[in-house]
Amino acid sequence: MSGALRIDVLKVHGFGHFSGYELELGPGLNLLYGPNEAGKSTLLAFIRGMLFGFEKRGRSESRYEPEAGPFGGELWMRSGAGPLGVRRVADRKGKAAVTVLSPEGHELLASRLDEALAHVSRELFCEVFAFSLDELSSFEQLVEEDGVSRALFAAGLRGARRLPEVEKHLEKRAGELFKVSGKNPELNQVLRQLEEVRGKLDGLKDRPAEYFKERERLASLGREQEEAEARQERMGRELGRLSRLEAALGDLGELARLRAELGVLPELSAFPAGGEARLEELLQRRTKARADQDRVESLLSKAGTGLARLSEASAVREREEALRLALGAFTARAELLRALPGRRAALEARRREVEQALGGLGLEVDAAGLLALELGAAARGTLESLADRLTKAEAERREAEVALGRARVECERIEASLARLRAERTKLPDVSAAELRQRQAALSRSRLLRVEREQVAAQRAELQQRLQSLRAQAEPEPGAAPAPWLVLMGAGVAVAWVGVLALQGGAKEGAMALLGALLLIVPLVLGYVRSVRSHQERVEAHAERQRQRARELTRLQSVLDTQSGRLLGLERELSVALSEAGVAAEASTAGLAGAEAALAEALRRAERVEHLGREREAREAERDGVVREAQAAELAGRRADARERTLRAELAGLLEARGFPPELSPQRALALWRDAADQRQRLADLSADERALAADEAACDTVVSRLLEEARAAGLPPGLVEAVAARVSSALEELKNQDAEARTLRARMDEWAGDRVRLTRLRDAEEQTLAALLARGGCTTEETFRERARQAEHFEALTRRVRELTWRIEAATGLEEPAVREAILAAGGEEQLKEKLGQLRMQEPACAEHLKALHTEYGSTRSQLERWETDEEVAALRIQEERLRARAAELATRYARDRLALALLSRARRRFEEEQQPRVIQLASEHFAALTAGRYRRVFLPAGGKRELRVSDARRDWSAEQLSRGTREQLYLAFRLAVIQDFGETRGALPLIVDDILVNFDLERTRGTLKLLSRLSEHHQVIAFTCHPWMRECFAAEGARVVELAPSSGAGVHALPSLIPSLARSA
Amino acid sequence: MRFKFVHAADLHLDTPFRGVPADSGLTGTFQQATFRAFSRIVDVCLREHVAFLVLAGDLFDAKDRSVRARLALRRELDRLHMAGIQTFIVHGNHDPLSGDTGALGLPDSVKVFGPDWEEVEVRREGRVLCRVQGISYPEAEMRENLSARFRRTAPDFTVGLLHANLGGVEGHANYAPCTVEDLAARGLDYWALGHVHTRAEYVLAGGAVAVYPGNPQGRHVNEPGERGCMLVEVEEGRTRRRFVPVDRVRWHRLEVGLTGLGSLDGLVAAVTEQVDASCPDELEGHAVRLTLTGRGPLHRELSRPEALGQLEAELREQLAQRHPPVLLESLRDASRPELDLETVRLAGGFSGTLLAEAETLVTEPEALAALWAEDAELRALGQRLRRLGVDALESPRPELVEQAGWQVVEQLHEEEVA
Repeated sequence: MSGALRIDVLKVHGFGHFSGYELELGPGLNLLYGPNEAGKSTLLAFIRGMLFGFEKRGRSESRYEPEAGPFGGELWMRSGAGPLGVRRVADRKGKAAVTVLSPEGHELLASRLDEALAHVSRELFCEVFAFSLDELSSFEQLVEEDGVSRALFAAGLRGARRLPEVEKHLEKRAGELFKVSGKNPELNQVLRQLEEVRGKLDGLKDRPAEYFKERERLASLGREQEEAEARQERMGRELGRLSRLEAALGDLGELARLRAELGVLPELSAFPAGGEARLEELLQRRTKARADQDRVESLLSKAGTGLARLSEASAVREREEALRLALGAFTARAELLRALPGRRAALEARRREVEQALGGLGLEVDAAGLLALELGAAARGTLESLADRLTKAEAERREAEVALGRARVECERIEASLARLRAERTKLPDVSAAELRQRQAALSRSRLLRVEREQVAAQRAELQQRLQSLRAQAEPEPGAAPAPWLVLMGAGVAVAWVGVLALQGGAKEGAMALLGALLLIVPLVLGYVRSVRSHQERVEAHAERQRQRARELTRLQSVLDTQSGRLLGLERELSVALSEAGVAAEASTAGLAGAEAALAEALRRAERVEHLGREREAREAERDGVVREAQAAELAGRRADARERTLRAELAGLLEARGFPPELSPQRALALWRDAADQRQRLADLSADERALAADEAACDTVVSRLLEEARAAGLPPGLVEAVAARVSSALEELKNQDAEARTLRARMDEWAGDRVRLTRLRDAEEQTLAALLARGGCTTEETFRERARQAEHFEALTRRVRELTWRIEAATGLEEPAVREAILAAGGEEQLKEKLGQLRMQEPACAEHLKALHTEYGSTRSQLERWETDEEVAALRIQEERLRARAAELATRYARDRLALALLSRARRRFEEEQQPRVIQLASEHFAALTAGRYRRVFLPAGGKRELRVSDARRDWSAEQLSRGTREQLYLAFRLAVIQDFGETRGALPLIVDDILVNFDLERTRGTLKLLSRLSEHHQVIAFTCHPWMRECFAAEGARVVELAPSSGAGVHALPSLIPSLARSA
Repeated sequence: MRFKFVHAADLHLDTPFRGVPADSGLTGTFQQATFRAFSRIVDVCLREHVAFLVLAGDLFDAKDRSVRARLALRRELDRLHMAGIQTFIVHGNHDPLSGDTGALGLPDSVKVFGPDWEEVEVRREGRVLCRVQGISYPEAEMRENLSARFRRTAPDFTVGLLHANLGGVEGHANYAPCTVEDLAARGLDYWALGHVHTRAEYVLAGGAVAVYPGNPQGRHVNEPGERGCMLVEVEEGRTRRRFVPVDRVRWHRLEVGLTGLGSLDGLVAAVTEQVDASCPDELEGHAVRLTLTGRGPLHRELSRPEALGQLEAELREQLAQRHPPVLLESLRDASRPELDLETVRLAGGFSGTLLAEAETLVTEPEALAALWAEDAELRALGQRLRRLGVDALESPRPELVEQAGWQVVEQLHEEEVA
């Protein structure tokens, strides 16, 4: 049963009437025996529920939910993959989720349970692996329902576990796509829509045919319309003509009356139009022209008088030109004349100022002398150059003096430093530093030599010690070799013994004794040989050790000799070094340290002496340099001094030559030079100004005298020159005004004279016009002209009215008056014309109505055609139709594929049954034969027909319905067992759980069945329930593990913890 | 003398596009495409100064009942008439003479061949340039080999204009059936054929050619790729042919392999890449059918209910916003799980039996036909579809059985049915 699924423990927390109940099961055949209502069916339902889930609420008879307390439990099993537990406990809502547990209580994946159950479906398990008597006998019905058949079939198929689900899924999907009489499946909907669209398309009929028909109709309508329009136009024209004639009838009468009135009047068409008004206007214009002429004459006479007055003669007028010139000259110099006294005073003041400044300069020259001095730019340049050179010479001299002073101070400082160095040197001894350093090196070498000497002495002592100890290590000689006498004695005794026995006992005893003697002597000889060999080995080892010791002694002695020689050499070197250092050979270590310190101090001083010597040399070199600098500075100072003196002499000469004090410093000389030059310039300017003033004064005098002279000549009163000038000016201005006035007056007189001529001509023209007007009116006087003018006006009004009426008739009828009269006559006169007109007016609306109707029809037909030309409806419907067709084709293809898949499954199943199923059928035949003790030989499924089980013996066959109930149940059991066995072989052995299924079997077949179950239990756990004692005995006889179930009130409770560890252990 | 002519066929003016969703917003563009394609053919004629245009049948589809189609035909032929270019027309099974062609009022330069054989001379400067022969279908059904009525009458270059199925091409009704040998035997120089919508050329014995220019505008997913007309240049009796595409919207069948794709985003990117590569910019629109192929982890995700539909809707929206717009006709899943059918077949068991059974049905048409006939529901559906003009279930299709076999095996091996 390895690998098979087996239930070990049931632990019921609460299920049906069980509460806290626990049951242990064994492998192989188990019988749960108990009276009615002990809970056998409940436990069967519990096992099913634990493995596949409890029934839903609402099916209380098979759910077994207790009224109170927990609902659920645990199931502990083992499978090929090891032990595992299944726990289902319902929550408040009644849902019992599955928990798969390891023996240690860890939660595992739920798929472990499926794997343990070899993925068997609940349906198959409940119908084939765990069933009751009722379910056994209802197998037939289930076969008809096809569900179990498929499941059974699937159970026998390898690789088609999901066949039922796939078939269902395909059927469902195909059903969702299409049903022959369905409405909602997608394809049905699409087909319905397609039919609707096609219906609509059919409703539209043959659109192009209709279109072309309508187009024909439109053409004929067009023609008809044209005809009607022509007719209507004709009628309209006639109506218009007659109407116009009718309208002209009144005007024709009026025209005849006016013509009669005109005939009475004379011919006045040539009378001037508006004659009376024109006459009055001419008369008025003549009067106005006369008045204007009189006014111009009076103006001309007044102007002649004024002109004579203005043209009278005077003295001023005669000398006008000379006066104007004199006044002009005076006016031009008036400003200059007024400024002359001021300028003279200012000139005098400036002269005084210059003379004062000249005195302030302290030069011994007057103004004329100053002007004669040569103070030009060249002389000034010479002076400036001299001053510059003198300043430079002075600066050089001062610089040399400063350098000399500085060198002297430095020299003094160096001298002091040298004195300090000399003083320090005298305090220090005269010792050589090199000698001191040599002594110091010898001292340090002697210290090292001392240390080395001590080390060598210590090594020598140690070597002597080792030599002595080596010499002292004397090893005793190994003892003498073992003696052979014991062996010899033993051999002798043995020989004697053998001889005695040989003599006394005969050959046999002798031989025996010889054998015994040999047995004694051989070990003795062997022991002796071994001891001799070990003695020789000891002796050889001893000799070797002695040789090694002698070699070591020799080596140590030679090393000791070497050390002694080295010690002596060191002693010699030490004494030399100490003597070099100047220390006694016997000096102690402390003495050496003291000597070393003294040497160090002496060395420090010797180094200081050397340093002072180098310092002094440096200072002396520095002092020599400073002395050289001082000498150079002194020389430069003297040179600068000589140059300064030369320049001063040159400057004095220059100043003296210009009357300047010769002792002046260059700066002062330059300042004085600048001031003298300034004053000289001012003097020159002053002289020029004086000359200009004198010239101006002379010019002014000439002008004034001429003005006064001219004024006197013109008869103007004398006085101050300004007053005279004012009088001359006003007289000239008055003269100018009079001239201007005379010119204006003359211009006006010319204008008025022109007016007088023009007015004379105008009056003549008016006179002529008036005469002409009277002549045109055929009159001689103004009164007769007025009379004729009134008659002409009336004539004109009548003529105008006649003309108007003629035009109106022409405009209304389009004909000239005679033609109108003729047309009226042609129409049969006035009466008939009106009658005809009335008739036409009655016909016209009907004709218009007809045309309108034609227009409407034409328009609607045309718009219908245009609509059709651009109509999208057909196209849209066609698009929709094609789209639906495409969709229908796609869905139909999918549907066909699903249908083909179903057909394919069906064919494959049939083929598989034919080729593969005999195994299950064969097993079923065997089992059925065993159950019926060979009564029936074979079970089979007839090929191609209905899927029903049939049985046969050797002669005939029966369908299941034809068998007795017991035999039929045995057939179904046999088939189930065959499936279970096949399932076990191909996928995994599952437990078989049967609830009192044997009650309808006779004793013989019961035993046969039990044997079969017993055989099956070798690979499958079998759990059977019964309430029958005889059945219990039968099971017990087959070796079943019998567990008694207590009645419902006394269900036992076991401690679960005691079972679980045992499970874990066995795992 | 050298001259040119244009050969076009199967205009199918105003015939609806199959598989264009009514609410896609592109319906107008697609519906106008047949008109624009024809207009471009006329443009080609005018540009190339051709001597004449031949139209080899199925100018429109009588069942479309489209007034617009007829008016458009007349309008375009008027343009040619104004330019002095002749047009020769034969009618085919979709626009037979029994229809309304007489009422169209075509211009004088258009010659429509009647139900009997006729020959017309094309003249230039008083000389015969070429001869055109043709026969129109009097009715939609024409099972006679009409090519037998054609014959050479003169040594001039002769064009035979015919709507016919040459060599029994599948997918097209076998009207006016003829063979390459039949055509060669007639001794004509150029056979201007119509009826088969896919471009094809057949060189006949003696140097003549028979040409299907294909339809100038693809109208469904089974008419993919560029479509147009044939510009033929004749010199010294020899022809030089150049195909001129005139379609404005183009159909594509694109396959996207799921292999190596781990996410839906990756799939969308792969689709975009495919569309980019296949749909040129210069057209006014494209329509694509996307098929997912190969094996990959996405197969499982897409087999969830509604998953494919959602993806299709998303892709459709995304593609429609491109420029030029791309219409997703449908998204089909032909991908497969990671199941090796050969291994299943070799492993035997029920699945092996099932695959063997499917194979038997595929190789034995009689067995398949019997199985098909057994299924009453399929029969009923087939009849209803036929009444509605859908030929999806006219005959059993072996590939459906094959697919059904794969499908069932996959489901049997799945862990759970979605």
